[in-house]
Amino acid sequence: MDNTDNRTDLPEGRAGQTREAADTATAQAAAGKQAKTGGMTRRTLCLGIGGAAVMLGLGGLKLANPQAIIRPPGGQDEDRLISACIRCEKCYEICPRDVIRPAHIEDGILNMRTPTFDFSDSYCDWCTEENGGTPLCVSACPTRALELPAGATKENTIIGKAVINTDWCLAYKLIGCRFCYDACPYEAITLDDENRPVVLDNKCNGCGACESVCVSLQNGSISEGATSRAITIKPLDQVER
Amino acid sequence: MKRNSKTLRTITALAIVAIVFVGFLTNLGIGTISAPGIWDISILCPLGALGTMLASKMMVPRAAVSLVIMVVLIIVFARAFCGWMCPVPLVQKLRGIFTKPAKQAKAEKPADGEPAKTSAADIAPLTEDEKAALATGCEKDSKGLAGCASCAKKRGEAVDARHFVLGGALLSTFIFGFPVFCLVCPIGLTFATILLLVNLFAQGDVTWSLIVVPAILIAEVLLFKKWCHKLCPLSAFMSLIAKLNRTFKPTIDNAKCLETAQGKKCGACGRACEEGIDPRHPELSEAAWSECTKCRSCVDACPAHAISMPLIAKKGEPVSLVENEK
Repeated sequence: MDNTDNRTDLPEGRAGQTREAADTATAQAAAGKQAKTGGMTRRTLCLGIGGAAVMLGLGGLKLANPQAIIRPPGGQDEDRLISACIRCEKCYEICPRDVIRPAHIEDGILNMRTPTFDFSDSYCDWCTEENGGTPLCVSACPTRALELPAGATKENTIIGKAVINTDWCLAYKLIGCRFCYDACPYEAITLDDENRPVVLDNKCNGCGACESVCVSLQNGSISEGATSRAITIKPLDQVER
Repeated sequence: MKRNSKTLRTITALAIVAIVFVGFLTNLGIGTISAPGIWDISILCPLGALGTMLASKMMVPRAAVSLVIMVVLIIVFARAFCGWMCPVPLVQKLRGIFTKPAKQAKAEKPADGEPAKTSAADIAPLTEDEKAALATGCEKDSKGLAGCASCAKKRGEAVDARHFVLGGALLSTFIFGFPVFCLVCPIGLTFATILLLVNLFAQGDVTWSLIVVPAILIAEVLLFKKWCHKLCPLSAFMSLIAKLNRTFKPTIDNAKCLETAQGKKCGACGRACEEGIDPRHPELSEAAWSECTKCRSCVDACPAHAISMPLIAKKGEPVSLVENEK
């Protein structure tokens, strides 16, 4: 759109030609073109090969060990998601609870702009209220990067596991907080003898309800050194138990 | 009729950005240009569709259908996407903001003293060579016949750097198994930047991506001024398909054109074309007709209002030159 800039971009500088010189320039251009190999200047060839090499180099990022992050329903097959996701941002938009967010560079270069969860305000219940239990992100994904295997249910699709940081959890300071216990839709959190929450790994599917209600990072209750909420959903391979 | 399609093009591109922005704030699933649509209906970017199928080695129905629709659209509208919809030219406009005004003014002045504007009165008779050029043209080429030798090496007719990038991206996608170009696509990065800003202000989402994403974008399209012409694989893909384009081609009314009707020198249409196509003297073109973005700059530039872009051009009548006025 920018006329002057684009004119100067043109290789043979036709912009600079006067009409009077045009006919001689045609002859020169024809002669000049003969000097090129295969209809291409050496510069174009270098640029092209350079560009193609960069593309192949970027592809090599796949070889670096990818960082696991939590994925929306249907994204549990990491290879499939990475191979099909074109980073079109559709799943973030469609999510009625706005819990899907684009992964950032901190989540790995290859993961950048692919979907992950942010449970700070709400959690994923597979659009039960909004779409009768079929996740809208799955139906909206145009490339089938998010696709549920046959027979997948909320209960057997493991997004991640809730992990409690006992240093930051208010209940572990015997304050008696039990927001996460009350919020869990799957009864995957029990209270121990001292009313402290404990996650039952075999029942937790990583829906994020507990994380979304955790108050440990809020005003007046910040635990010293805490960088996140005391209960968070972690990808399966980061759960040490 | 006011002839200012440049403004109109800026407005359309801005309107698309605005629609995508609305999409970010709502849950309608409007999508970005990578997959525009509504709810769960969307049409995929042709490179994205190709990439996702090559990477996952699966037949994805939505991607295949999108690809077919896109090919048809490209055949009808050629590279109109580049001229009217792509946000990259908008990003490139930012360069103007950072360039010093003095520098800009200098850049606008052609180096070797070309008159800034050729008015209809600024005339000189055509030379014999030029007359010959008017008569031959390169239209034959686009029909598969050799019109003239020099045409074969025009941008868009032969393989150039963009095609290497396209080939490299698709090969890499196939080998490594993920849509490689999507990672760095400036169109995607433009919308990603907007989304990052939305999330920064709406949710206080602070991340290094806020620096990295715009930095890649700037490196690609601001430092590489020639991105669209020389590197963009989407432009390469579209120019390949657009070889089949026959519609909305700038067509010159020889009865009105100063060069054919009055034998005067003009060439305003060729100078106006940002792609380097010269509709009047196709042999002077640096780009093939397949590069046409249907931007209407030539239509606007024509002092005699002789150029139109009809849906289907009439069969080319032979150019008849009026005797040069002495």
